[in-house]
Amino acid sequence: MSSASSSGGLLRFRSAVPRAAVVVAAFLGAATFLGAWWLIVALHVVAPIFLPSPATVARAFWTMCADGVAMPNALISIGRVWSAFLLSVLIAVPLGILMSGYRIIGAFLEPLIDFIRYLPVPALVPLAIIWFGVGEETKIFLLWLGTFFQLVLMVAADMKRVPGEYFETAYTLGAKPHETLGTVALPAMLPQLMDSMRISLGWCWTYVIIAEIVASDSGLGFVIWTRAGS
Amino acid sequence: MSNTLGNTDNSMGLAPEGQDAYLRFESVTKTFGAVPVVQEPFSLDIPAGQFVVFLGPSGCGKTTLMRMIGGLDTPSSGRILLQGQPVGGPDIRRGMVFQSYSSFPWLSVRKNVEFGMRFRRDMTKAQKRERAGYFLDLVGLADFANSYPSRISGGMRQRVAIARTLAADPDVLLMDEPFGALDANLREDLQYELRKIQKKSGKTTIFVTHDVEEAVFLADRIIVFGSRPARVMADMDILS
Repeated sequence: MSSASSSGGLLRFRSAVPRAAVVVAAFLGAATFLGAWWLIVALHVVAPIFLPSPATVARAFWTMCADGVAMPNALISIGRVWSAFLLSVLIAVPLGILMSGYRIIGAFLEPLIDFIRYLPVPALVPLAIIWFGVGEETKIFLLWLGTFFQLVLMVAADMKRVPGEYFETAYTLGAKPHETLGTVALPAMLPQLMDSMRISLGWCWTYVIIAEIVASDSGLGFVIWTRAGS
Repeated sequence: MSNTLGNTDNSMGLAPEGQDAYLRFESVTKTFGAVPVVQEPFSLDIPAGQFVVFLGPSGCGKTTLMRMIGGLDTPSSGRILLQGQPVGGPDIRRGMVFQSYSSFPWLSVRKNVEFGMRFRRDMTKAQKRERAGYFLDLVGLADFANSYPSRISGGMRQRVAIARTLAADPDVLLMDEPFGALDANLREDLQYELRKIQKKSGKTTIFVTHDVEEAVFLADRIIVFGSRPARVMADMDILS
């Protein structure tokens, strides 16, 4: 491990650390976790039925892959997550930008969306099944429901945070307001937008497991739920 | 420049004798909601090519007056004329350089300067590139053309913004404390450069600052404002 540089120790408040130290620290963090896990099982702190050892889990994973269970179901879940996520993004990004760009559109939509986004997704599972049956549409709908209304408001906030100076600079360089959407608004908000989308993608994973546990015969959620009984 | 306005308007007491009003404030007032920013009607004649500094304490309304030239705010009463035509919304004839968020962080230095011509339909891509190169040279940033604003100093970022606005070739250059956030040495360098560039280009320039030394160094003429609501305390020609 690389020792403290001339600028001081590795524990100096808010100071940069060498790249090598970052990599070593990251591996050490993961190793500590695995070590603690292994130790808890080895010392019989918890019965193996509740917490199997890392090696047992790795073997089970290998078996599931060999049996052709893990990968096909993972691909199904990934497909659902990405379909719903892209559907959310495709509608939420332009709509969120419009809501901030044209405040009257924001005033029209925001209270409604703000209400809907607090509806708990699991509570809408029965309704989704009545509407769409137990096919793919139900899962996509539930994932979309859980992410779209959050994402659109985050996009609107990202757009609102773009400094007015950027737009005003563009105006005094001859841009029309609508021309600043692609040339100023989008590039200026892109870092925050990526962050918002990343968070949404994470939520999709939460909801896909719920959807597959309740209303599916495939996917990782289904596998987890059916294996829990065996 | 053209004499589109005669000197017949006797309400314009501020026009220097015998000079044409290129840019004219006509009894301009500004109120934001219930808050008067410019209460006393403000009138001013600015001849073409003059470097005018609006000097005054923070929040005195000098920035608002300049923003109204740019069309970024509109007068509550009165009007502003550029070559005899009332100014409307913002356009490429009145370029603005801000104190903060002046250069676009998502574009390289060269692309920032080219952005000044982004909305001009009368130039080819090659022409824009060449012109950007010229102004990059002028502000001494040719070696940093491919750098991004996050990789250069604050002073360089302001120079990027100035080059971008110059590249757009506005009739009037508006600058809102563009060197306000810079340290003293850098400020002096940039003031010197700006003065040179302005003389070379002959662009009518309105420069807002609260720094007396900066005002005296840069200006052909200084309008001194009292505190809010804006009042003109003095209108001084600076001999250089």
